[in-house]
Order: sequence, then structure tokens, then C-alpha cells
Amino acid sequence: MGFLVPAFLAGLAAVIVPIVLHLRHRDKDTPHRFPSLMFVERLPIRTAQRRRITDWPLLLLRALAIVLLVIAFARPLFWKPALVRATAPPRTVVLLLDRSASMGHRAVWVAAQDSVRRVVQSLGAEDRAALVLFDDQAEVAQALTSDKALLLAAVGKATPSAAGTRYAAGLRAARQVATDAHTGTAPVNVVVVSDFQRNGTAGLAGLDLPTSLKVQPVAVSTGPRANASVSVAEARPVGGGARERLAVAATIRSRGVPAGRKMSVMLRLNGRQSGTQLVTAAGEGETRVVFEPVPLPSGLVRGELTIDPDSLAADDTARFTLTSNDAVRVLLVAPDDADRDETLYIERALAVGRSPSVRLERLRTGAIDAKRLEDAALVILWDVAPPSGSAGTALQEWTARGGGVVQVAARRTARRFGSSSLLPATASGLADRSDDRGGSLGDVRLDHPLLAPFRETPAALAAPRFLRHARLEPAHGGEIVARFDDGSAAVVERADGMGHVIVVGVPLDARAGDFPLQPAYLPFVRQLVLYATRRDATPLSREAGESWVIPASAREPVVSTPDGSIVRPPRDRRAASVPLREAGIYVLHDGETRSAPVGELAVNIPAAESDLGVVAPADLLAGVRRNGASVGEADPTPPPIEIERRQGLWRLAIIGLAVLLLIEMMLASRGWRAVANPLQTASSSGERS
Amino acid sequence: MPAAPASFLDRALLARISDLALLARTVVDGFMHGQHRSMRRGSSTDFAQHRAYQPGDDLRRIDWRLLGRTDRFYMKEFEADTNASVMFALDSSASMDYGSKGVTKYDYGRFLIASLAWLSQQQGDRIGLVTFTGDIVDVVPPSARHLQLLLHTLGRAKAEGAGTLSGPAQRLAHMTSRAGILVLVTDCYESPAELGRAVDALRMRGQDLIVFHVVDAAERDFPFTAAATFEDAESKTRVAVRPHDLRKRYLEAARSHHEAVAKRLTASGADYVRVDTDQPLDRALHAYLDRRLARSRVR
Repeated sequence: MGFLVPAFLAGLAAVIVPIVLHLRHRDKDTPHRFPSLMFVERLPIRTAQRRRITDWPLLLLRALAIVLLVIAFARPLFWKPALVRATAPPRTVVLLLDRSASMGHRAVWVAAQDSVRRVVQSLGAEDRAALVLFDDQAEVAQALTSDKALLLAAVGKATPSAAGTRYAAGLRAARQVATDAHTGTAPVNVVVVSDFQRNGTAGLAGLDLPTSLKVQPVAVSTGPRANASVSVAEARPVGGGARERLAVAATIRSRGVPAGRKMSVMLRLNGRQSGTQLVTAAGEGETRVVFEPVPLPSGLVRGELTIDPDSLAADDTARFTLTSNDAVRVLLVAPDDADRDETLYIERALAVGRSPSVRLERLRTGAIDAKRLEDAALVILWDVAPPSGSAGTALQEWTARGGGVVQVAARRTARRFGSSSLLPATASGLADRSDDRGGSLGDVRLDHPLLAPFRETPAALAAPRFLRHARLEPAHGGEIVARFDDGSAAVVERADGMGHVIVVGVPLDARAGDFPLQPAYLPFVRQLVLYATRRDATPLSREAGESWVIPASAREPVVSTPDGSIVRPPRDRRAASVPLREAGIYVLHDGETRSAPVGELAVNIPAAESDLGVVAPADLLAGVRRNGASVGEADPTPPPIEIERRQGLWRLAIIGLAVLLLIEMMLASRGWRAVANPLQTASSSGERS
Repeated sequence: MPAAPASFLDRALLARISDLALLARTVVDGFMHGQHRSMRRGSSTDFAQHRAYQPGDDLRRIDWRLLGRTDRFYMKEFEADTNASVMFALDSSASMDYGSKGVTKYDYGRFLIASLAWLSQQQGDRIGLVTFTGDIVDVVPPSARHLQLLLHTLGRAKAEGAGTLSGPAQRLAHMTSRAGILVLVTDCYESPAELGRAVDALRMRGQDLIVFHVVDAAERDFPFTAAATFEDAESKTRVAVRPHDLRKRYLEAARSHHEAVAKRLTASGADYVRVDTDQPLDRALHAYLDRRLARSRVR
């Protein structure tokens, strides 16, 4: 026999209530009014009698009523464990262990492992359990097994990762494990061992879980946890030439840290200490730390910002990488008859900007060959048709490997590049818009990365006027990015292999329009270069859990991860990518790891992991949809809770008995008083007492 | 003396009559039906006794026949032809506000006084009223025209608070300058000695005193059986008692007290009449009339 809610047994203490009432009832009772107690007060009264229980049967009846009431609320469960074990199916338990970066908080991980071990030890011989580790992804570390040793070994091997938290991923994996277990309607217990970080609940809303999946949260961390983290706010080269310097700024985020706490922030470049700042961190919020510019090492630069270690060490270091000489080599192929004024604006616009800077090389028509393309990132065909022959082939191959081509269509080429398969558009002539005071851009796709700078100010693109522009039509899979106000295509783009080919019908000189004189010109040209060379998505660092798209320049990419392992990413049609699962520096080699690195990428833990705010475990499944779909075959043996639920009638009977006893108590009390007051007294005011 | 019809004196009937004037008339008319002569009509012609002439006596009352036989002057005295002054004093302490059989002692006392006042009014007496607790509460001065005022005052009187007779008795003695009849209605919850001293103070002024001791049946019999907490109506003192164990001693104490009170009051010259609220009013009325007749004799 057991109790489902044994806490209610504490109510047995209420048995004292009727005893006290019996002893004190007369004093609490409504006094019997009598004209004068002159004679009564003269008589000796043994007060000891008042402390004596005079009605034992009534007292016992009332105490028994309370005992029955308490037992009913405690929900007694009469069962024979051996019998139940013989008839009930073995339990199926899915252990979901949170291994996100926040679990690396001091003592939390050990507590989590211990919690899982306790669950494993409590399993019966026939019970099965699986261990699923999850952060932002889930991994079945141990499939369903009855072997506790295997489970314990898997628990011991698990370590916190650098990735974020997504409970939805873990619960989906648990659902899959439960489905594969074919347990029928028998419940599958999912024990979620986690710190229940609030930021991990994304994606839970709308998740479908069968009702047979019983989720049992086990919180290994209670209460608020103080934490400070550091991130790279800025790292950019300043100055130029041989005296180029690096300006670095850090952001320290504090949560629950005692206000006014002093902490040091250290900057390391390529492993060498380059600066230290002593700051007073805010209790809650951000503190920006700016370092004095330091000499920028040449080549690949690894930077590291470190604050004083606290309970969560994973976010006390922020890494970043950059390349000191990251200039983009752009080949500007201009027609022979073009003077310098024609390309003045494009050349000046390309010269503006750093990180990356543009190294422009002007070529004449026919000067393109494979050698020139080798270290180039972008070819701008300024009103010249794409080369044919071997040069054309070389250009196409180079584009497929990741090179970028921008075809500027103007008066010379408006009718001459229609047959080139390299370009995603054909030109059908030149539109003269001088009669209607010039055309303008009418329909632009601001969601396209090429026009991302204008998402906040789309009106800037409507300002330029164009007197003449090429009439473009998409071809060979071209995608229109912008149209003129007369409906004709203005910018057409196509991904060609690893590279981008963009046809620009918008006049980029000042002769056919005023675009170079408009504020939108410079950001348009800058974004054109960045997008075509795929340099626009090169951050200083990435977060664990993301993927690294390997630059196309690496023909045989080999990536060494922070833990020293080697990854050879498979290259699909478009690109090769490497999942970033660890915090640290990923190094890209071309061919073999002994060669000089061709790229580096810093990976930090997700910023959300530094926010250690928790969600109530009971609220974890607030947005989860529960459906009645069973996981597998039906099981005729109900679980113990269901057995108990079916015994609800006797519980109701006990409650009814308790109510009857309460009524009996009242009746007994009234009868007692009736004997005590046999006379109906009256007062002169008419009221009867 | 023939008994009055019970229906006119039954306390249950009286309890349903809220108008004290009607009540008193009902009681008195029923009580007097066929049993009492008119005192007013023959009161001045009935011979009482002779006494020796004193200088200054009215010569018209000299018994000339006796002078002729004895050659001495004797004066003839008759039944009194002057009205008496009747003062009613009602104990309005909270202990009077108790009734175990429907009628409280206080109501019973008011019925009694109203009836006696009506009766006295019929006799041409001056009637007055005093209600008291620990002190005088209401006063209606004696007058032949104060019946309605008396009944009105009696009707709105309430029994509340602690009461004692000694204090009000002193003031009452000073208020009644003329000798008359003082009717005291109380439940006598004081020591016999205290009551005796109060009665002595009243008797000092030559008042004829009739004390109606009103007793409820529950006070008389103490019929309670089960344990209960009893609360004193006046002092609010609470005592948890088991009546079954106490009844015998209670009844003994009550009986002793009643006897002591009767003895002490009688010793002081007062007429002690115990009236039980479960009994009709006729006994009280008889006692009053007896006393009234005695008072009407010329000294």
C-alpha cells in the first residue's frame, strides 16, 4: 500500500482539533443566560471536571472522520508491486541530458550527471532507458537498453558543448526514441535534466508530443545565477600601409553581478598580450571597453578577449579573426574608347571603404586570361561583352569556382551580349527616357542581399534618374533584383557555380543619368562588390551551432577544429560547409594541414547561453501540443495511476462518510446544547434565547 | 373570597396584550367581578371607632348621643374619605429580564404594577412610579391623573444593567414626603441584610411597604441537567457548571435565601409577597387589596 500524495498525511495532525474542541467546547459554547449566579457562585465547583473528556464515543467518531478524510486526500494506492511488475510492461525511460554551454556553469554539470545516474540506478531489471544529449541539436548517446553499465558509461562520457539550448530538439529526439520503442499506450517517461534556461524554449510552441510521453523535468540549478560574459564589439584596421593598426572594442554583459565589481579585460593578438583594461562592470547590463589601437600583425590575425573567470568560464573568452591584408582584387575591363571620365565615378567609389579594401586593376578588352583571374575576386565588364574563346572559358570556370562577374550594360553593349551564356540576362536595346524626364527604379527587391543597405531607406533608390538605360530580359536562370519604373529589368543576378554573375542595366556613369551623384550610389557599388565577391558575410566570429561555408578559393578544403580533429568537408554543388560545434579557432587549409592556412574562423558560444535566466520547469511544456496518438501497439495493462483513478468511487465514498460524520458532529453538538438549555428563555424585548 | 376567573389572570393571555392600560383594565375588571364592594361609595359613612375630644376637633363629629348618656365628649371616626398615595417601584435590573416560560419577570412585574395602578385609580388614589436599577431611572410623581403617564412610562421601561435596592431606597424615601403605600416589585437578588436595610429606610418615613418578590420557575426549580456555561445577566460573569451536581445545593441555597428575605422584610414591617411568574396575578392582587384595606382604616 502506498499513497500518491503522502504530503496530505500531515493532515493527521488535525486529529488534535476534536480533542481540543471537546475539552474547550463548553467555554466556547454560547453561554446560558441566567438572572443571577449568586447562589451558583457560592457553591464549590471542581474545575477539574472541565478538563475531562466526557463523551469518548463522540470524540473517537470525530477523530476517525478526520483520519478518513486525510487518508482520502492522500489517495491511497493498494497494489502489490510484484503483481504489478509481473503484469505491467517494463518502463521505458528516455533520459534527456542538456549539454549546452550554460550547463558548464560551476557544479551544474556534475549535478546533472548525478541526477541522470540516480535515474539509471532506480531502473528495474526489465526497464529500458536511452540517453539523449541535446544542445541546439540532439544526439542519441545511448539507444534503449536495459544495461545500466552502458547508460552510466554514456553519462560519464558526456561533456558540455559550446552550442546553445533548444529543448524542442531534445524532445523531438525523445519522441522519436519513444516511437521506435513500440511501447503502445504505456507511458514513456522522458526525464529532462537541465538548467532550464529560458532562452532554450524557442521552438517549443507547436511541438507535437503524444500524451503517452510523460515529461518529467529535473532542474539541476535553482535560483538566479550571476554571470559576466565578453563579446567582440569591434575589431577593425585603422590607418594604412605599414603603420596599419587594429582598433578593438569589447562588450561586457553582466547579469546578477554585484554592482561595482572590478574586472580586467585582456586583449591577445596571435597569442600575445596586446592590452589590458580594468573596468567596473555594471550589475545588470553592458559595459563597453575600448582598447588603444595596437599594431596589426600581418596575415591572418587571431584575437582573443578575456575577462576574469567566473562560474561560467565558456563565455569569459571571446575570439575573433581577421586578415590584415584582405583587399579585394577587382579587374575593371573597360572598352578601348572609354576615357577616364567615364569610369571616374566607379573607380572612386571602389576606392572608398575598408574591410575589405578594393585593389582595382583596369584592363583593356581582351586582356582577361586565366592567370589574371587567379587571384582576382571580381571582374567588372564595363560596357564590354564577355570575352569569348579561351578567355571566356577561363572566365566561366573561374566564376564557377567562386569568382564574381558584374556586367555593366550601357550604350555599347546594349545589343551585343545577348548570346553569352555566362550572363543571366539579354539586352534588347537601349531605352531613351529623356522624354519623360528620365526613368527611375520602380520595383526593387529589398529582401535581396544585394539591396540590403537600402532596407531602411528604400526611397534612396527611387531618387536617381536615368535618361538612357539598357532593356534587359532575364535569361539562363537569371533572377530580377530590381526593375525600372517602366517594368524592364534593371539588375539581374544568377549564382553560377560558386560565384555570382550580375548584370546591371542601371547606368553607373554620369552621362546617362545622375546615379553617381546620388547618395545611393556609393553603398550600391560597395554592396555590389561585397555580394559578388561573397565578402559580405564574413564576420569577426561565429557562434557554435552555425556552419562555416568554406570559401571557394580552397579547392581541397581541410579544416582543423579547435579540439585538433581534421574535417574534410564534402563539397556539394554550390559550396562546402563545416558545422561549428566547438568554441575556438577553426583553421582552413587547402590540400593538407601542413600547408599554410588559407582562412581562419573564430567560434564563440552563443550569446544567449550567457543569459542564465531560467524558466519554471512546469512551464516547459506550456506551448506543446499534446495529442492522443499512441506511439505503437496498445497495451491492456493500465499504469498504476490509471488503476488508482479507476478506484475513485471508494474515495468519494470516504469523502461522503466524512461529510456524514461532520453532520453527525453538528447534530451531536446541537443535541448536547439542547440538553444543556432545556428551557426556552425569553427577554422583555421579545427575543427568545 | 371567591376566586377570579382564571382567563383574566392567566399570564399567557396577558403576555399577548401589548397595551398596558387594556391589560390592567382586563385584569382588574375580571378580578373585581362580584367580589369587592365599592370603596368609594360607602367610605365616608361607615363608622369606625370613638375617641376622646381634643381641642380643635370638628364639633360636627361629636357623638351627641354618647354625650347625652355619658356627659363626655367623644368624637366619631369613620372610614377614611381621603385618597391614599400609592407609589410603585419596579426593579429594572437585567436580572428581571428573564423568563423561562414565555413571560419574563420584568413583564410580569409590569403587568402587576399596571393592574394595581388601575385598581388604585379606581379607588381614587394618587399613583406614582419609580423604576430603578443601581439608581433611580424613571420617576412618575404620585397624582390622581398620572395613570396614563405611569402606564406609558411602564411600557417603555427596559430591564438592563446591574441593580441594587439600597441606593434607590434612600432617594425614594426622600421623594415620598407623604405617608402612603409603596409597592416594591423586585427579584430580591441581594443579601437579606441589604434588603432589610433598604426597607428600613423606606419604612422610616411611615410608608406602608408591600414587597412583591418575583420568581421565575427556572430560578425556583433549576431544571437544567447537562453541563453548560451560565452567564450572570447583570455582572456577565460566566461559570461552567454541571447542573445535575448542583441542583440540590442550589435549591437549598435559593430556599434559604427566600426564607431569609421574607423573614427580614417582615421584621422590618413590610408585607412580603412572593409571586411566581407561572402563577396568575390574583394572589398578588389579593395581597395588595388586603394591604390597601388595612391602610384605609382611620387611625
